Amino acid sequence: MTKQSMAILAVLSLSLSAGVARAQSDPGPRSGAPGAGTPITLLSDAQTGFFNDGAARFNSTHGVDDGLGPTYNGDSCGSCHLQPAVGGSSPAVNPQVALATAHGGTNTVPSFITVNGPVREVRFKWQLGRDGSPNRHRPDGGVHALFTSQGRDDGGGCTMSQPDFAAAVASHNAIFRIPTPVFGAGLIENISEQTILDNAAANAAAKLALGIVGFPNRSGNDGTITRFGWKAQNKSLFVFAGEAYNVEMGVTNELFPNERSNPPSSCLLNSTPEDVTGGDSNDAAGTVTSDITAFALFMRFLDQPTPAPATTSTTNGAAKFSAVGCALCHTPSLTSNTTTVDALSGVQANLFSDLLVHSMGDRLADGVSQGAAGPDQFRTAPLWGLGQRLFFLHDGRTSDLMQAIQAHRSEDSEANRVIRNFNQLSTKDQQDILNFLRSL
Amino acid sequence: MRPKKSVAVTMCFCLLVLLTGTLHAQKDSGPRGGPPGAGGAFPTLNEAEMGFFNQTAMRFLEVDSVSGTIPGEGGAGLGPTFNGNSCAQCHAQPAVGGSSPVPNPQVALATLDGATNTLPSFITANGPVREARFVRNPNGTPDGGVHGLFTIAGRSDAVGCNLAQPNFAQALANNNVIFRIPTPTFGLGLVEMTPDNVLRANLVSTFNQKTRLGIGGAFNTSGNDGTITRFGWKAQNKSLLVFAGEAYNVESGVSNELFPNERSAISGCVYNGSPEDYTNIINDADGVSLTGTAADMSSDVVGFANFMMLSAPPTPAPATDSTTNGSDLFNRIGCALCHSPTLTTGPSRFTGMSNVTYRPYSDFAIHHMGSGLADGVTQGAAGPDQFRTAPLWGVGQRLFFLHDGRTSDLLVAIQAHADCGGRNRGQGQGQGFGFRPGGCDSEANGVIRNFNNLTPSQQQNILDFLRSL
Repeated sequence: MTKQSMAILAVLSLSLSAGVARAQSDPGPRSGAPGAGTPITLLSDAQTGFFNDGAARFNSTHGVDDGLGPTYNGDSCGSCHLQPAVGGSSPAVNPQVALATAHGGTNTVPSFITVNGPVREVRFKWQLGRDGSPNRHRPDGGVHALFTSQGRDDGGGCTMSQPDFAAAVASHNAIFRIPTPVFGAGLIENISEQTILDNAAANAAAKLALGIVGFPNRSGNDGTITRFGWKAQNKSLFVFAGEAYNVEMGVTNELFPNERSNPPSSCLLNSTPEDVTGGDSNDAAGTVTSDITAFALFMRFLDQPTPAPATTSTTNGAAKFSAVGCALCHTPSLTSNTTTVDALSGVQANLFSDLLVHSMGDRLADGVSQGAAGPDQFRTAPLWGLGQRLFFLHDGRTSDLMQAIQAHRSEDSEANRVIRNFNQLSTKDQQDILNFLRSL
Repeated sequence: MRPKKSVAVTMCFCLLVLLTGTLHAQKDSGPRGGPPGAGGAFPTLNEAEMGFFNQTAMRFLEVDSVSGTIPGEGGAGLGPTFNGNSCAQCHAQPAVGGSSPVPNPQVALATLDGATNTLPSFITANGPVREARFVRNPNGTPDGGVHGLFTIAGRSDAVGCNLAQPNFAQALANNNVIFRIPTPTFGLGLVEMTPDNVLRANLVSTFNQKTRLGIGGAFNTSGNDGTITRFGWKAQNKSLLVFAGEAYNVESGVSNELFPNERSAISGCVYNGSPEDYTNIINDADGVSLTGTAADMSSDVVGFANFMMLSAPPTPAPATDSTTNGSDLFNRIGCALCHSPTLTTGPSRFTGMSNVTYRPYSDFAIHHMGSGLADGVTQGAAGPDQFRTAPLWGVGQRLFFLHDGRTSDLLVAIQAHADCGGRNRGQGQGQGFGFRPGGCDSEANGVIRNFNNLTPSQQQNILDFLRSL
């Protein structure tokens, strides 16, 4: 071979390998023991007792006589909030597939629920008109549960069809949400208004230069900042527990005492509310608080995730994460205020979120408004625990962190300039950021 | 000639006097005296439920101070801003759980324990307990939220707090403040136990009659679970538990497990960890046990909710000829099309509360009420002139009417329902908020026209009937 052709070959090889070696890639979920799911270490014995009682109820599988249905997405909190441990997010094997026909249920599994895909709830953007098609003058935004109790051996002869999900998908009226993990949620609950607002006002020049805005969502009840859920629409763990119990499982409770979805009387088998204070013979631990009170206590006492030990790569990744501007929304930490639970008082929560809502552009927009959060606005998703999560973004559309990052960029997204900065990093720096995220 | 003319004139004059005198003869006889027709537990509860009701009533009565350190004010969490220091302070007439008493306890509350609050002009000794909401933010965007009347500044248990009250005089001058009075809570468990389907069927059942009279009606629904919300002046609240949590934080400043973050938590005014009310991890009664009764272990807000849930509805006075006729007329002229006389509960967890037919005199739907009543505030699906049909059970022993307690006279309250063709007696002209006076926007106009076409004695029958509820 001549020197010239060797040179050409070398150049060609280099180009080829450069093309192949644009090889920063999501290393995938961190293996090993779950870095989350344990109670806060400094709880008192009594508090630990309530944590355990709450956990037992959280894991308890419900049948229709425990209040499940007539419409539902899951039959226990823990079946969907499971990865990498109870209190987490969507597991690798989607329990909703088996649930459709559990106990003789005659439900069809909708197209967007697959065995290897994420647990999902469905919301319709628009209400349906009399002809069954979406009426774009009447926003909906509410959850339409996947399954009904029809056919179940404990369903008592309930006759109720599922919504027409195929039509909803075909008419672009369906959007999805996956479970949010609740590790460290007690800390989020006790971050004061002032802390959130001070953080929102911080780094003003940098945010302005990058096109980042953000604002808090607020409660229509007491006017304070709401912080839970994909659009930061929920005020507290107690409200979230009550809402989820009725919406996701159909168990009416003292917060939400009425059955949803106008079921026929053949499906209204239980006295309401199905969960009450004063005990219920189905409680695992038999304590007197309602299930929703117990769920809230369990979630409140869950510790924040523990990251993996730092490496050179993740240390560099963390630095670059800030340098390109990710940390301006994904605030690395906020400190809780003085609380009645000592173990939650004045604790640094390493949540990687400002708890504000931001405009995320047309690729992430889901068309649903909740409180002050509009159709393309979302809460900055907390990134703690990301390392052991399987599905990303509000609808779990990807398992690849790289794709999740790129999805931040689209028309009118506040993240555009930051993502451009990210994309201009070297391959190594991008890989370090991915490694850093997978260490959380 | 002269004598004839003067006789004619005299006769005309006498007739005029007679007629006018007769037209004003119907009169609100005022709050029904005698023992309170409300305040007890639902009559069919079992022993455990009755015990829970009695114990939670104690919490409803508990008086709050900032840190629970003042004798007689053993509850903790008051402030930094507040409208009242105990549920029972404002929910008191004719019994605990009711509505606004006289004298107005907010007058003394302003300076209790050394607090340095100025009494806003709209709080008077003989007027109703009120909360104030600002219609707009300073930047013109909608507000609608409650701005607490008082702060803890100056109180002996709030050393170091310098929080000022809002500028209510300015808000009044800018037509930017509206008021709400307490709603009574008797019998509300029955309302909670009424399935959505029953409320919908009730609304639809009189559709034709309503349409003929210009009445519409819609439901307010929850942003959380999509079901019908039924509590509050605009039917904005989902459940007694949500209401209890919201009121505890908004009206008394006690943060709790539902609403765990303190409002107006400025530096120097935050004395307690949050939330200030919480589930008892250790039994309060002995300070040691990890178990106890529901009443021992529950948070205050759960206690309040159960107290309200387990309460009996008001008992009407025995019927008379006048009230029977009044009830009949109430239905015939169309009042009952919104003020539904009966509803029925579904299956309930609580003893004897299943499939109960009760008499709330409300459809729990929201209706347009026109310029006279519009308050400019939107809550959920209820817009600036929409209000929930106020339940009329217990109205016989109430002192103040309409969302802001602007009148103590039932006749004035009735006339205020109309914004055209009615006979507003100078009161309740309304603050406008974009609705034209005389704009005929109220759904009640047709019915009030019917009312005004009744004879005085028929109108009196209706008033007597209402005062019997």
